[in-house]
Amino acid sequence: MVAVQFYLLLSAAIFCIGLFGILTRRNVLFFLMSVELMLNAANINLVAFSFQYGNLTGQVFSLFITALAAAEVAVGIGIMLVLYRNFGDVDVTKATTLRW
Amino acid sequence: MILELLIGLCLLGSVVLFVTPNRYAGRLAAGWSLLPLALSLLMYAGFSGQGNALLGGQLAYETTVQWVSLGPYTLNWHVGLDGISMPLIALSTVLTTAAILSAWTPIEERENQFYGLVLFLEAGLIGVFAVLDFFVWFVFWEAVLVPMYFLVAIWGGPRRKYAAIKFFVYTNVASLVMFIGFFTLVFGLGDSIASLDMPAIAQALRAGELGSLAGVGPGTLKTLAFAAMFAGFAVKVPIVPVHTWLPDAHVEAPTPVSVLLAGVLLKMGTYALLRFNFTMLPDVAQQYAAIIALFAVVSVIYGALLALAQQDLKRIVAYSSVSSMGYVILGLVAYTVYGVGGATFQMLSHGLISGLLFACVGVIYNTTHTRMVDDMSGMADRMPVTTSMFVAGSFAYMGLPLTSGFLGEYFVFLGTFHADFPGAAWFTAIAMFGIVIVAGYLLYAMQRTLFGPFSVKTAHADGGAMRTDGGEGSGSEAEHDIDRAAAHDIVPLAMLLALVIVLGVAPEISFGMIRDAVGPLVTAGGAG
Amino acid sequence: MAATSTAFAFEVAPAIAILPLASFVIALFAGKYLPKGGALAGIAATGGSLLLSLWIALTVAGGATYNEEIYSLVTTPNSFDLHFGLLLDPLSALMLVIVSLVSFLVHLFSLGYMNDEGERGLPRYYAGLGLFSFSMLAFVFADNLFMSFVFFELVGLCSWLLIGHWYREEAPPSAAKKAFLVTRFGDYFFLVGVVAIFATFGTTLFAGPESFPTLAEEALAGAGGGEAGGGAGELSTFGFGPGTWFTVLGFLVLGGVIGKSAQFPLHTWLPDAMEGPTPVSALIHAATMVAAGVYLVARMYGFYALSPTALAVIAFVGGFTALFAASMAVVKRDIKQVLAYSTISQYGYMMLGLGAGGYVAAVFHLMTHAFFKALLFLGAGAVIIAMHHRQDMWEMGGLKEKLPVTYYAFLAGSLALAGIFPFAGFWSKDEILYEALIHGLNDPLLLGGYLMGLTAIVFTGFYTFRMVLLTFHGEPRTHTARNPHSLGWSVKVPLVVLGVLATVIGLINMTPVAEATGLHIEYLHTWLEHGIPGLTVEHYDEVLETVAGYSAASLSPLLPAVLSLALALAGAGLAWALYSGPDPDHHTERLGDIRTLLMNNYYQDEYQVWIAETFGTGVARLSDRFDQSIVDGAVNGISEVSLLSGDRIRRIQTGIVSNYATLLTLGLVVLLLSVGLAGGWFL
Repeated sequence: MVAVQFYLLLSAAIFCIGLFGILTRRNVLFFLMSVELMLNAANINLVAFSFQYGNLTGQVFSLFITALAAAEVAVGIGIMLVLYRNFGDVDVTKATTLRW
Repeated sequence: MILELLIGLCLLGSVVLFVTPNRYAGRLAAGWSLLPLALSLLMYAGFSGQGNALLGGQLAYETTVQWVSLGPYTLNWHVGLDGISMPLIALSTVLTTAAILSAWTPIEERENQFYGLVLFLEAGLIGVFAVLDFFVWFVFWEAVLVPMYFLVAIWGGPRRKYAAIKFFVYTNVASLVMFIGFFTLVFGLGDSIASLDMPAIAQALRAGELGSLAGVGPGTLKTLAFAAMFAGFAVKVPIVPVHTWLPDAHVEAPTPVSVLLAGVLLKMGTYALLRFNFTMLPDVAQQYAAIIALFAVVSVIYGALLALAQQDLKRIVAYSSVSSMGYVILGLVAYTVYGVGGATFQMLSHGLISGLLFACVGVIYNTTHTRMVDDMSGMADRMPVTTSMFVAGSFAYMGLPLTSGFLGEYFVFLGTFHADFPGAAWFTAIAMFGIVIVAGYLLYAMQRTLFGPFSVKTAHADGGAMRTDGGEGSGSEAEHDIDRAAAHDIVPLAMLLALVIVLGVAPEISFGMIRDAVGPLVTAGGAG
Repeated sequence: MAATSTAFAFEVAPAIAILPLASFVIALFAGKYLPKGGALAGIAATGGSLLLSLWIALTVAGGATYNEEIYSLVTTPNSFDLHFGLLLDPLSALMLVIVSLVSFLVHLFSLGYMNDEGERGLPRYYAGLGLFSFSMLAFVFADNLFMSFVFFELVGLCSWLLIGHWYREEAPPSAAKKAFLVTRFGDYFFLVGVVAIFATFGTTLFAGPESFPTLAEEALAGAGGGEAGGGAGELSTFGFGPGTWFTVLGFLVLGGVIGKSAQFPLHTWLPDAMEGPTPVSALIHAATMVAAGVYLVARMYGFYALSPTALAVIAFVGGFTALFAASMAVVKRDIKQVLAYSTISQYGYMMLGLGAGGYVAAVFHLMTHAFFKALLFLGAGAVIIAMHHRQDMWEMGGLKEKLPVTYYAFLAGSLALAGIFPFAGFWSKDEILYEALIHGLNDPLLLGGYLMGLTAIVFTGFYTFRMVLLTFHGEPRTHTARNPHSLGWSVKVPLVVLGVLATVIGLINMTPVAEATGLHIEYLHTWLEHGIPGLTVEHYDEVLETVAGYSAASLSPLLPAVLSLALALAGAGLAWALYSGPDPDHHTERLGDIRTLLMNNYYQDEYQVWIAETFGTGVARLSDRFDQSIVDGAVNGISEVSLLSGDRIRRIQTGIVSNYATLLTLGLVVLLLSVGLAGGWFL
């Protein structure tokens, strides 16, 4: 049996990769993928603790999150298409009109 | 249930008017407003309350319905009237009808919404004067601001946005301060109260059941709460130096709204001061009486001086309201029957008279499209009836005997001169000088605008050119423009003037019930 | 039977005031549909008032008096009682007759002055007259000081309405404003006084055991025995000794008197008030507004008699005003201006009389003056009608032949005004001066008042006859004066009635003759002797002697009478010498700078306007600027600061998602670090 710490380390690593992607990339597609990574990192945490404590609630939550992620991708890609249509690009730094 | 009917009628009217076509809105609103007016007058005639609402008096038209529990407190729908609130409710209904009638001419767009908001405002005002549970009271208190904001912001003058936001933010911040002050008391009382019922709180406070809160002793707590509530209500009254929203709001508001603003909204402040500060914490009020009196005297004299410096007729009346409300505060501090009763009477009287004057200014503005003293003279020549009303209203404002204005001020002076706080006589004597200044600016304004050779300078018509018409019937352009006011403009003026004179000749009509209601407050206050 | 008729007379007494009120209402609302614009209603009402007043006077003459509450405004248990009441005693009965008579005659005269001249706004005019009569009559029979104040103020309103009657011109509204404002300034002190008297005594009744003069007298009597202030009993005297406090109260009420009776320094409104129609001037100056002040002092004389300081000041101010105003009248060109200043001067005499302890003398002069001044004003009105509304005396001349009735009536009034034997003014003015002299021999302030009053006689004689000579004698100086407008009966009747009165009314109180012959012919003195206890002459004399410490030197009234007559004749003679020719010169021009000073009324208006401008408008402007910049500035400042800081802080929102993500991450890190530090994870 693998100790829960290793799952957590894996989760943290994947989360950091996702975070790094969000902070450095400009392409919306990469954003979306990074967000997926971060969500999955959270899923790993949930499943790991669920396994640790023998409580199924965590696993149920991870299913919810997967569903949510799917929905989010649908919305996200929709936004991406609109972004491309309006700005001719999928660079997030170009779309700065949504401010004060 | 009759009070609920009264409030419900106003709310229903408001809803109905919102969906009425514009062309019928004015007439429907006037007709509808007669219902609450008639009902409130019937209630006035059949009034049977005794004593003070907060001090265990016998309330008229009382209902108590338990509503919800909020933590340790029960919230009730508790309404009822005593001799202080009854006249103020009648005042609200009278002035609403007057305001609606005087809106017929100037309000020419989105009438249905305008009248709907006015009736909503009326419901809020009646609620403030009738409700005796703090939570519900506060809802009404805040609900009044909303229609007022829109009435100024939509139908107002050129700087209406500024004025409306200033009014709303200023009074709302004040409400917050007051709210904190009041809840300091509520929490300080701890277990000794089980609801936010104002009579219960007042009696608990007067029985000395206030405990410590966060390590602060009851004495300091009381003083702090008093100061916070005083500051909060002072904005509404308004007392110098927190008065500056008033002239802006008045100048920008359409005249019918000014009528309500000066006539009733300001009374909310003094009414709340009387109910909260002076009834619940009489010992603090008496301890700091001299300071409060100083505020009052400064309001009287400073407000009058400001009025003296104005050129805009509406600003003149607005600043003189500051001055007049100073008398109310002065009367409240006195803790004598004539002082507190006179203050209440003065609220009533000032409501009628300032409403009358604003309506008069409105009638003149409707035809001349200017309110500047310098822009017109000799209006008496063209608008004799309006002029007569203006003159009568002005003299009532100056405190001419046999009008309610005189008695309001006179009662206050009589009550305050021999009050117990130090320097009472001096404060009163100085405040009385207000009657000279008020005569100064009103006479000046009347002389310049109403009398002398007729001439009107209208900025909007032909590029600010002077249009003079000296001779009688020479048929120039001004002749057609400036004419007698329509009957529906005059009716509200005549109605208010009649009330001013009736109250001035037979004050007992309302002073009787007022005296009955302030009696327990004064005797229990310990100042005699 | 007599008792019931007495009771009935008093029952209907309120109608004396109610009738003119009714005429006010009728003229106001129905005036334009009535013939003569409501004048007939006014004439009927004041005529009715006159008859009722005479009936009351007869009843009072029978020894009955009346002091009852008739309408309670507010009754408050354990506190002050505000009510209207009726006090009918010899003084008020006398005054009622005077007021209603003059008012009746003025209404009658107005038919000629206003109606026949094609005046507009007649309903307004007659409504004003009706309200004026109502206010003054109610003021006269007021039984308490509160009611007096109420109607005192209403009289002020009426003066505003009537002085500003011709509102289409510039000057009348301005004069009306000035009249109201100046008297209001005086009324401010009166108001403080009324409130203070309420607070001190708990009552403002004039008469009866519970009245404030009686209470004050008792308080002083108590204080005299014990230590100062101890005897005031339950009266609250606000930290002063009772004597001092009563003097203060007296001065406060006196403020209103000085304003309404146009005494120095608040006299400036009165000459301007000549802008009103002339019958109104007659009403204001002879019997109503201006008389109200002096009447008030007489009404509460029992109170003033307690304070020698207040009395001395009243006397001195009166004497000074008499001289001061008379000197200004000397150079005026406008016939109404001369009369205006003479009014101020004559009321100065009354104040001198009251202050000097000559209660009867002052009331006497109030009465004679009411008749002869009404006569002079109506006479001047007649002249003005004849002159087609021109008022400059230098444009007149020679009207004697053209207007004989007016001339003889006016002459009678002038002789009375100048104080020439045996016309009314001689007797009353002489008695005032006599009282001032006998009391003044023991009091320098009173003596000063007396000497000024004496000097003023010369001026009075001079300006009166200058006026008569310039107006009626010599050759007509203008075309209008050669062809004067004819006068109707409604103008002549009042002149004749008043002319007769001005001639003979002085005979009712011939003190010098009584002294010389030993006959009991001082009828007015006798009239004022009976009445309600505490409001009689004997009582006043007693109080003056015991409390105020007045003592009269024994002196025959004959010598002072001869002296004042000689001075009056000297003044008149001087006028005759200078102005009697067919085409008199402008002799006053020779006075040079003094004339300029007098024409400008000693620059009284200028300095008062200066004070009003500086301390009124100036301070107002200053506070307005302060309010706009500092007070409102603070409010706007707070909102500015909020807006500005909001404007700065919103710059964080760049719109770039990556920046938000960075901030988010940084925030999380900071949060974790701080929680960790606080939780001691890193230790």
